[in-house]
Amino acid sequence: MANPLKLYLTCVRNTLEAAMCLQNFPCQEVERHNKPEVELKTSPELLLNPVLICRNEAEKCLIETSINSLRISLKVKQADELENILAKKFLRFLSMRAEAFQVLRRKPVQGYDISFLITNYHCEEMQKQKLIDFIVQFMEDIDKEISELKMSVSTRGRLVATEFLKQFL
Amino acid sequence: MASFERASPALKETLLRIYNAEKPIEVDHHLYEFGSVEYYIKSSASEPFTYLSISTPLLSQGVFLSCRLSPCTLKMIREISSDVLDIVEPPTDGYQLTLRLDFSKLPHNKESLKVITEVSSVQAVILSSQLKKLLQNVNSWDISQGMYKPIKLIYHPREPFYVIRQPQKIVAVFPMRFKDHSDVIIATSFFQELMDVGSSGKWSKIPPCNWSPIPPPELRGEPFEDLSTNGGFVSFDISSHHVEGKRLDKTVWSLLNFYGYVKHHVKCTRGFIQRRMRRRMDSLVQVLEKSMIEDNGEIKNVKGKSGWKKVKKWMRLTSKSKMMKRRYHDFTKKIKGIRFRRRWLTIACLSSSMGYTKLRKH
Repeated sequence: MANPLKLYLTCVRNTLEAAMCLQNFPCQEVERHNKPEVELKTSPELLLNPVLICRNEAEKCLIETSINSLRISLKVKQADELENILAKKFLRFLSMRAEAFQVLRRKPVQGYDISFLITNYHCEEMQKQKLIDFIVQFMEDIDKEISELKMSVSTRGRLVATEFLKQFL
Repeated sequence: MASFERASPALKETLLRIYNAEKPIEVDHHLYEFGSVEYYIKSSASEPFTYLSISTPLLSQGVFLSCRLSPCTLKMIREISSDVLDIVEPPTDGYQLTLRLDFSKLPHNKESLKVITEVSSVQAVILSSQLKKLLQNVNSWDISQGMYKPIKLIYHPREPFYVIRQPQKIVAVFPMRFKDHSDVIIATSFFQELMDVGSSGKWSKIPPCNWSPIPPPELRGEPFEDLSTNGGFVSFDISSHHVEGKRLDKTVWSLLNFYGYVKHHVKCTRGFIQRRMRRRMDSLVQVLEKSMIEDNGEIKNVKGKSGWKKVKKWMRLTSKSKMMKRRYHDFTKKIKGIRFRRRWLTIACLSSSMGYTKLRKH
């Protein structure tokens, strides 16, 4: 792992470890309702200050915390048009299969490419440390996958171009 | 749109069926390919001949004023096998060419398959010969008009391309259009690779290839709708040595297939990306499922893949006594669970109602 990326991911990991102390908390406005406060934002006293971690202009992570839920929004690096469509395709593919991930939000927060919503129920069902590991690995894998996909598409293009030009010989 | 194979697979299959039949069979088939190519195959039990009629769009109406095929094309078709096929004059109404095939003159060995394959590729011969004629005769045709005017070739209604004769070379320009934005990006990446590969020293013998997002100056004066593209313009500079002898055929076929080739590459790349995304998603889901904990603290199995393990477990419990014991055990466990949950729920309800106070805003 490259050093700047490691620093960025360590920062995200430490922030998540600090933020992921969620507890069951029923809705204050509607009786017998229990909803993620980070989404509803009905009671400001239940929300913590959001933390924005930026690696650069194009890569950032927003961590919004509330008493019973945590929302993590990611913006993935897109250096050129090919990376842009690959990132969009991949993240849309994952968002459409959000039920497989449980913690993935179907629609990302505005200005970000993908969002996760972790509630106190997720923390009860899953190991907290492993959940943080998943988020960090996801961030790492997305970058790696997009770079690899870009390289594969270019390599395929080069091979196909070679095969086409061979026909003229 | 062209097929990468010269022979039409459907036509070849039909002709082979007629040829392999023990006695003459009745066939009256119309085959359509790429929306604009039509074959009509007629064979009767009473007659030993099979009639094959072909209708194919002409590349350029400006150059080929008549709908009839040129003598050069007819000569090339006759050369396939002068014994087996004969050109019927005049052709059947609505078709450009009618062939009379006599399969009784075909030898029963590998040669027969070769001849039938060549007969099936007669449409490719017609199209290639049109472009060949164009590349060879375009010089005199343009000079008579006093200028090097681009010739628009409509191989497929939505995919026209241009051939421009210049003093030392012939330029083939392909305006590239795609429906989807992601297709444009994949194709653009391919065109850049095509330019890079073509410009390397190893490929000095092939026609130089260029890609530009704006129309090349040679196309100045052409209708605006023909020059509005989203994928830019790919051009091949064809010199005289690229159309000499056997290379003419290869060059012509490569140019005719360029659109199909690019579209096929884009489609395959999309499939490749989809496969790769699916594989990566599976690995990510497995990471998340590792974090799932069961009541006794053990890690849960992967949800989607537990089915086979359950079947194996069930197979082990085939004896009736074991099954009965297991059912009894499960049943008692469920009752205990319900009792415990009810007690727990009651306590939780009391504690929540007592301990709940609304926080005040500051």
